[in-house]
Amino acid sequence: MRELALTDMERAGAFEDAERTFQMTEDAFRVFYEQTARPIWLYLARTTGDDRLADDLLQETYYRFLRTRTTFESDDHRRHYLFRIATNLVRDQWRRARTDAVDLGGPEVSEARDDHEVGDRALGRIDVTRALEQLKPRERSLLWLAYAQGFSHEEIAAQLGLRTGSLKALLFRARRRLVAVLGDRYRSGGRHD
Amino acid sequence: MTDHTCAREQDVVSAVLSRRWHMANDDLKRHADDCESCREVVAVASLLSAEQDRVRSEVRVPAAGQVWWRAAVRARLEAAHAAARPLTWLHGIAGACALGLAVAVAGMAWPTMRDIAAWLATQVLGVDSGLGDVAVLMGAAIQKSLPLAFIVAAFIVLAPVALYFALSDDGGR
Repeated sequence: MRELALTDMERAGAFEDAERTFQMTEDAFRVFYEQTARPIWLYLARTTGDDRLADDLLQETYYRFLRTRTTFESDDHRRHYLFRIATNLVRDQWRRARTDAVDLGGPEVSEARDDHEVGDRALGRIDVTRALEQLKPRERSLLWLAYAQGFSHEEIAAQLGLRTGSLKALLFRARRRLVAVLGDRYRSGGRHD
Repeated sequence: MTDHTCAREQDVVSAVLSRRWHMANDDLKRHADDCESCREVVAVASLLSAEQDRVRSEVRVPAAGQVWWRAAVRARLEAAHAAARPLTWLHGIAGACALGLAVAVAGMAWPTMRDIAAWLATQVLGVDSGLGDVAVLMGAAIQKSLPLAFIVAAFIVLAPVALYFALSDDGGR
């Protein structure tokens, strides 16, 4: 079958169409993007552990967001919806990774990283990225949404399709794991470096 | 406190993320000191929010205009794909209709063709077509005219191929 490709004129037309197709104008999008792009990219990068993948998922997140027909009640609602899209994309990645028999949070990774971790601690430096990589993808997602983005338990539960009660238990376990990975220095609260 | 989460966790997180933990009220601070869960929350939220602040300034995301433009082009392309889909179905239905029509026309013209074949057999081959057995007549004709049979067979094989290239979008390019 013939591959569809756009000519330069069609590309120019696409720009005009976008105003009708998308749920916000370009100017409104620019403002929203400036406010949200970096937190979203960070969330994608820290939960996937892959900066390049985060770049791709960022574009996909905003594309899906622009195509949605949802009516937003507030800026917060819009932001939460964006994170929900990002979370779904990350979850799709986990599933794909599982199908490929690659467990990003598996014990192999943890063991392989132990030596580096000890070295880092000896230098008095905590590499949060490395610590997060030792957790399961869902744990990373939970921790980032709860403690970096400050989403409520109800909001996170809605994003991940969980009951609030289950979420609390999962979040508790994820937090315990992170603290265990980070070591005693962070057990007593606050940063000490 | 529940099994997993302290009821004041959200207050603690809010205070830490608003960068005002040191200014939080004494009651909340005292609680965090006494509550193991909240102590952990303070530690983890401080760490992750500090990481977010540190990296945020270093993150290089594509420009908003670039993201918008890519999304616009993709939306246009998907719309073109969606529009092409019913057209493909229409082509299939039109082809099926044409085939059905051809079979119907052939059925209607069959008696006439039989008469012509019988007449040709009588005139050209000198066979008596009184019985009207067209198959026998055609067999005799093919036997006596093998080159013609080859030409007809070649036409039957090549005609669809030629038709495909003639009607193809990229044909000849």
